[in-house]
Amino acid sequence: MTTLDPQNSRAEGRKDPWSQLLVKVGKNQDRQAYHALFEHFAPQIKYYAMANGMSSHAEELVQEVFVSIWRRSCLYDWRKAAASTWIFTIARNQRIDMLRKMQRTSAEMPVETEDLWQIPGENEDEPVTSLHRLMSERRVRESLKHLPEEQITVIAKVYMEHKSHQMVANELDIPLGTVKSRVRLALNKLKVILQDQNV
Amino acid sequence: MTHHHPDGLMLMEYSAGNLSEPYALCIRLHLDKCAHCRSRVDTLDSLGAVMMEQQAQVTVSESVFDRIMSRIDDDTPLPAKPASRPRGALSKLLGDDLNGLPWKRQLGDVSVLDITDRFPGQQEQVVLQKLCAGGKAPVHTHRGIETTVVLQGAFADNKGVFNQWDFVILGPEDEHKPVALEGDDCITLSVLSAPLKLTGTFTRLLNPFIR
Repeated sequence: MTTLDPQNSRAEGRKDPWSQLLVKVGKNQDRQAYHALFEHFAPQIKYYAMANGMSSHAEELVQEVFVSIWRRSCLYDWRKAAASTWIFTIARNQRIDMLRKMQRTSAEMPVETEDLWQIPGENEDEPVTSLHRLMSERRVRESLKHLPEEQITVIAKVYMEHKSHQMVANELDIPLGTVKSRVRLALNKLKVILQDQNV
Repeated sequence: MTHHHPDGLMLMEYSAGNLSEPYALCIRLHLDKCAHCRSRVDTLDSLGAVMMEQQAQVTVSESVFDRIMSRIDDDTPLPAKPASRPRGALSKLLGDDLNGLPWKRQLGDVSVLDITDRFPGQQEQVVLQKLCAGGKAPVHTHRGIETTVVLQGAFADNKGVFNQWDFVILGPEDEHKPVALEGDDCITLSVLSAPLKLTGTFTRLLNPFIR
């Protein structure tokens, strides 16, 4: 196993252990680090596929995501996203890709999934360091602790089961407005909502 | 600098990967030019990561890892960096000359180009609309929900001025009469959930900024 030295971690910045492992994969094609990432994230990705009705393709999605992680790891920049966030966006995109391939009829789509859904830190002209990005995952985790269960339930259905707000409303048998207000309250806590004008 | 942004709920649907391609395109075009919304999406992507991690765990057999390793071993060495910045979604779809597209002139100052067929298998209608610089579109409301991002130029209506990369959603309650600002022709990309209805006397014929 790759050792996770807290001293070293402090010296290198605000990296979490998973981000450190991912950097090792990117820099040195470190297979031990890659295996540690697999042990941690593969079950999450498998469950992610199962939660939205792709059970028969769940391990296939795990494979696609991990092959993609390996190939892209050289582009990973810990200053731009935590490893878990980066891996989530790859899982999301691979899932969309897989569904697009299954549904594709005849005509090829001129636009790739990644033209529409970006992996954080790739193809951006922004300055590398953004305190916001470094903080965002920690802040999210902190904020979630204080959210009522009913708000987390709605968010989980949106992210894990890929249900629209309308579908969540139907399933929980509550008005669409209630679903939206629960999400808004949660987003307020996460400071994602803004005054829409004059930002 | 954009002043009109997608709301947090729509950005969440985007981050979760739940939007259809035409809507995702509208969001992506806005994000490319709006650092503010990019940082909102960063937070939402982190939310996705935390949701993924909090769910009940399942086991994945080690044989899956072995299969992954054998695929990787067949890989050619990792590319150092992507060769060049890939073309954006918009130029892949439409080329680099928006003005040179085969616009269909409608009444007056408005031209339109339906690009729904670029999104096979999607439900929504996707339309480019062009209002000549300084031109006016007739008064209209919207029968469904129209999601629009400004690609070029700017237009103004009773809600304000919409500049390049601004994002706006109009629904049945929004009656408006857009006017393009002087300078460039105003070109917008709109995703329509249902056909529009006209309120003016002219109705019927028209178009996009109508439809």
